[in-house]
Amino acid sequence: MTKESSRFADGRFIDPSVGVLSGEAADQKVPQDQDERAHSQGAAPLDLRDRPPEAPEDEGATYYDRPVLKEPVWLWAIPAYFYVGGLGGAAAVLGAAAQAGGASRRLVARCRWTTAAAVVVGTGLLIYDLGRRERFLNMLRVFRRTSPMSVGSWILAASGGAASSAAVLSGTDGLLGALGDFSGAGAGVLGMPLAGYTAILLSNSAVPAWKEAHKTLPFLFVASAINAGASLLEMTPLDEDEVRIVQRFGTSGRAAELLSGLLVEREVAANERTARAYKEGVAGSLWRGGEALGVISLVLGVLPSTGRLRRWASGITGSAAAATTKFAVFYAGKASARDPRTTFEAQRKTLAKR
Amino acid sequence: MATGFFTDTTVCIGCKACEVACKEWNQLPDDGMSFTGMSLDNTAALSASTWRHVEFIERPMALSEQQTGLGQFSWLLMSDVCKHCKSAGCLENCPTGAIVRTEFDSVYVQPDICNGCGYCVVGCPFGVIDRREDDGRAWKCTLCYDRQKDGMEPACAKACPTDSIQFGDLDELRERARRRVDELHERGVEEAYLYGVDAADQPGTDGLNAFFLLVDKPEVYNLPPDPVAPRKYAAAGWSSVAAAGIALGLAAVAAVAGSGRR
Repeated sequence: MTKESSRFADGRFIDPSVGVLSGEAADQKVPQDQDERAHSQGAAPLDLRDRPPEAPEDEGATYYDRPVLKEPVWLWAIPAYFYVGGLGGAAAVLGAAAQAGGASRRLVARCRWTTAAAVVVGTGLLIYDLGRRERFLNMLRVFRRTSPMSVGSWILAASGGAASSAAVLSGTDGLLGALGDFSGAGAGVLGMPLAGYTAILLSNSAVPAWKEAHKTLPFLFVASAINAGASLLEMTPLDEDEVRIVQRFGTSGRAAELLSGLLVEREVAANERTARAYKEGVAGSLWRGGEALGVISLVLGVLPSTGRLRRWASGITGSAAAATTKFAVFYAGKASARDPRTTFEAQRKTLAKR
Repeated sequence: MATGFFTDTTVCIGCKACEVACKEWNQLPDDGMSFTGMSLDNTAALSASTWRHVEFIERPMALSEQQTGLGQFSWLLMSDVCKHCKSAGCLENCPTGAIVRTEFDSVYVQPDICNGCGYCVVGCPFGVIDRREDDGRAWKCTLCYDRQKDGMEPACAKACPTDSIQFGDLDELRERARRRVDELHERGVEEAYLYGVDAADQPGTDGLNAFFLLVDKPEVYNLPPDPVAPRKYAAAGWSSVAAAGIALGLAAVAAVAGSGRR
């Protein structure tokens, strides 16, 4: 490419020796190659192969089957965070309960460390997904109560502080130990919203598969968080009393996860196309896989043995179930946003009711 | 003063001068040159680098009172844009405070604050705002905030040769739009109506600062029939989060209950 033509290669067609780049979008970064620009995700997607197949006339009007909504831009790191963050929240609550109920200090410390580590890993995943990672601190620039992401950022930051100070002070006595217990209790209180706010993070959107599940999704996410937390703790070395606590916690989470999965299915069944987003494609496979793994982990979890093999088997299947469920919900949302008819179906009904 | 757009689709001629004026004024990059096969619309959609989009709808039916030479046929043309909703899903979802409401009542993304979290993208019921992957930030129409500060009208409205895009004081625009609908009804175009003109018409968004005059269902123009800002159904979601959180606490207490060491 010659120097002359490279001046225009950003698609703005402004010769900087004559024109000044000072417009609102003058610093919007773009690929230099025109073809790349046409197919880069920020530009209007022109690839016809991405369009859904033509639907029969009676399915209602669309604009050339183009999606109404923009597909969520989030990557795998977001559902991965839902799993990790939920796990941290549930562990914090169990840790605080264990601390108050006089369970072993070893279990209390392990719960605290689990939460502290989960917050660090989760924050890393969230930063990884940002378009401008160097600006991650802007998440704590304001508090906006209408934004579950803003509320969640503050919960996550506070949880991180409380859980890590509690974890560090785990082995101490006296004043420091009391401070650790205070932090642990705080982390427990924060763990309750930490485990479930990610559900409203999704449902507070225009994406049909998420918004139409806004009443039941928090129950699924919290149940899945309990399963994730208990499954991880289950795989660590535990004595008999600790096994009993973790096993009870895990079984309640696994049963609740299966039950609330059915509730989510019932809530989205109000609209056929939205329900389909949870049944078909990648999301459908993940959803059914999560249910199957959930049943297996539930059964393995209630077996009378406290041996390592049993605990690892239910721990691994339980963790897989919890993670798979969150990926399923995530991809169901993406699929539902791509189809304009899914968006229209529900809105036609609400409009008719008005 | 609250300003906005009234887009009268019945006089749009599909010249795309608004698209060009917007790209030029804001110094937006092109999106590559591609053919979509969607009538004369090779822009396809609003995006991070396309803030005006002219839609071309070919219908196998005539408008009321319309005389057509070649059987039953009519064009519908519409210049789409960010609606600058009174209850804006993008703004309410933005966790950084990058998205603000300006003194002109428009919704503006501050590029120096946005960290590209992508939460505005899922919050918009119209699919307007988008994150540019190469750039990492979210972008959309600013209602020419820079021009308005200098007392000028937005570039698209300035360039529109038929006044399909009208810019001005919102109260005045609403009055003008209602008069236009009455006029069209009198002339036999009974299907004409306003989309998103005020909160009564579109409670989900509390009305749009960029509203439209349409002659077919919103879906035909790729507009949602009943858009709702997510905040409006957040209360039920938060109640469930609270209930589920309490259940989590109870599950933990129950798991620990009767523990041997005290």
